[in-house]
Amino acid sequence: MRLTVKQLAKAYGYLWALRHFDLTLSPGEFVALLGPNGAGKTTLLKLLAGLTPPTAGVIELDGRPLTGTATAERGQIGLLAPAEHLYDQLTALENLRFFTALYDKDSSASALEKALLQVGLSARAQDYVGNLSAGMKCRLSIAKWQLLDPGLLLLDEPYGVLDGSGIDLLENFLKEHCARGHIVIMASHHVARALKLCDRALILHQGRLQFDQRKQTPWPAFEHAFGDFLPRTGP
Amino acid sequence: MTLLRQAYLLLRKDLLLEWRRRDSLLTMFFFGTLLLFVFHFAFDMPPDKVVELAPALLWLAFLFTGTLGLAQLFQAERDNHCLDALLLSPLDRGALFLAKTAFNLILMLLVESVVIPLFWILFNLSSWNLLPQLFLVTLLGTLGFCVLGTITAAITLRARARELLLPLVLFPLMIPVILATIRCMEMVLRTGSFGDAIAWLRLLIGFDVIFLTIGVLIFDWVIES
Repeated sequence: MRLTVKQLAKAYGYLWALRHFDLTLSPGEFVALLGPNGAGKTTLLKLLAGLTPPTAGVIELDGRPLTGTATAERGQIGLLAPAEHLYDQLTALENLRFFTALYDKDSSASALEKALLQVGLSARAQDYVGNLSAGMKCRLSIAKWQLLDPGLLLLDEPYGVLDGSGIDLLENFLKEHCARGHIVIMASHHVARALKLCDRALILHQGRLQFDQRKQTPWPAFEHAFGDFLPRTGP
Repeated sequence: MTLLRQAYLLLRKDLLLEWRRRDSLLTMFFFGTLLLFVFHFAFDMPPDKVVELAPALLWLAFLFTGTLGLAQLFQAERDNHCLDALLLSPLDRGALFLAKTAFNLILMLLVESVVIPLFWILFNLSSWNLLPQLFLVTLLGTLGFCVLGTITAAITLRARARELLLPLVLFPLMIPVILATIRCMEMVLRTGSFGDAIAWLRLLIGFDVIFLTIGVLIFDWVIES
C-alpha cells in the first residue's frame, strides 16, 4: 500500500488544527508522529482514518482518494486507540468475532482463540470487555488489528496503559506488521520508544509539519528539531 | 459483504447488547404501561366514547415511549467511541441505518404487543376481533416512526442537548405518519374494515417506502456530518 497526502488541512471554526500537510509513504514504512500537546497529531490520525473530513487537501491510498463512500479503502485502515473501539458488554471473544465478521476476515473460533492466546488473554476470552483493565483492552485491540490486518495502521498514544510485556507485545506486532509491507504511523509522547521502532520521524508543531526525515545514526537534525519543538522532558 | 449481511451482523450485536442490558426495553415497557394507567384514570368515559379516542391515546403513548427508546438507540456506539470503530470499518452506512431501524422496530413492536391488548382490557373495549387489522396499521405507523426516528437520532447524535433536540426535530416530521395512522385506526375501529381507510393506508406505505429508501441513501452523510 502507498499513502499519499497532498496539502491536507483541517480547521475547527477559526482554528487551524492542521495546515499544508504533505506526505508520501511507501509499503513497510514505520513513521513516528511526534509533537507537543495540541500539535495536531490526533487530528492528522483522524483525517487519515477518514473519521473527520478534511477542510482541504486529498488523501490517497494506492492512488485512490479516501472519501466517505470508499468502503474498500476504509477496510484497509486501522486505528488502534487504547481502551477504545470495543463494546463493553460483549465478551473479548464476541468483540473479535463481531469485528472480524464486519471486515469479512477469518472469524473462526480457532483464529480468534489463537489471537487471544498471542496477546495473553485466552483466560479472559469469556469476560465482558467492561470488566477488563485498560491494559487488557489495549491487548485486545492488538489482537483485533492482528486479525483485521490493515494495510495502514494508525496508533494514538498506545504506550500509556500497557505494562512491560504489553509493550513488548505491541512492538513485536508492529515490527511484524511493517515486515509484511504494511504502513504504521504511531503518534506518541514516548519519543525514545517511537524512535527505536521507526524508519522515519515527523514532528508537528501548531498544525504544521516542522520536521520530516528518515532515521539516521547519529541524527543531529532530529536533536535540533527535538529541542525546538518537543517538550524537554523527553529522553 | 452485502448490505443485508452487514445489517444482520449489526442487528444481532444490538439485540445481544439489549438482551444483556435490557435498559431500553424495560424503560419503554414501564413507561408505556404507566401512560395507559394515567389515561385510564384521567379519562372516565364509556367504551363507545373511548373508541373515538383510542387511536390518539395509543399513539400518544407510542410516541413518548418510542422517543425514550430512540434516545438510547446509539448509546452502545457512544460508549468507548464505538461509533468511530464502525465508521472506520468497511461497513456500508446504509446497513447501519437498516440495522438501527430494525432494532428500534423490534423494541417498539414488543412494547406495542403488550400495550395494545392492555389498553383494550383497561378501557373495557369489546372489539378484540379488530386487533389484527389494528396491529397491521400500527406496524406501518411504527415503521415510519422508526425510520424517521433513526435518521433524527443520528442527526442529533453529537448534539449537546440531544435528548431535548430529538423530539423537537422528530415530532414535526412525524405529523404525516401520526395523522395517517390515527385516521386509519379510527376508520377500522368505526367500520370494522379497511374500506374507507385505504387512502390513508397507501399514504402510510408510501411514506415508509420513500423514507426507508432516503434513509439508506443519505445515512452516509447524516452519520458523518
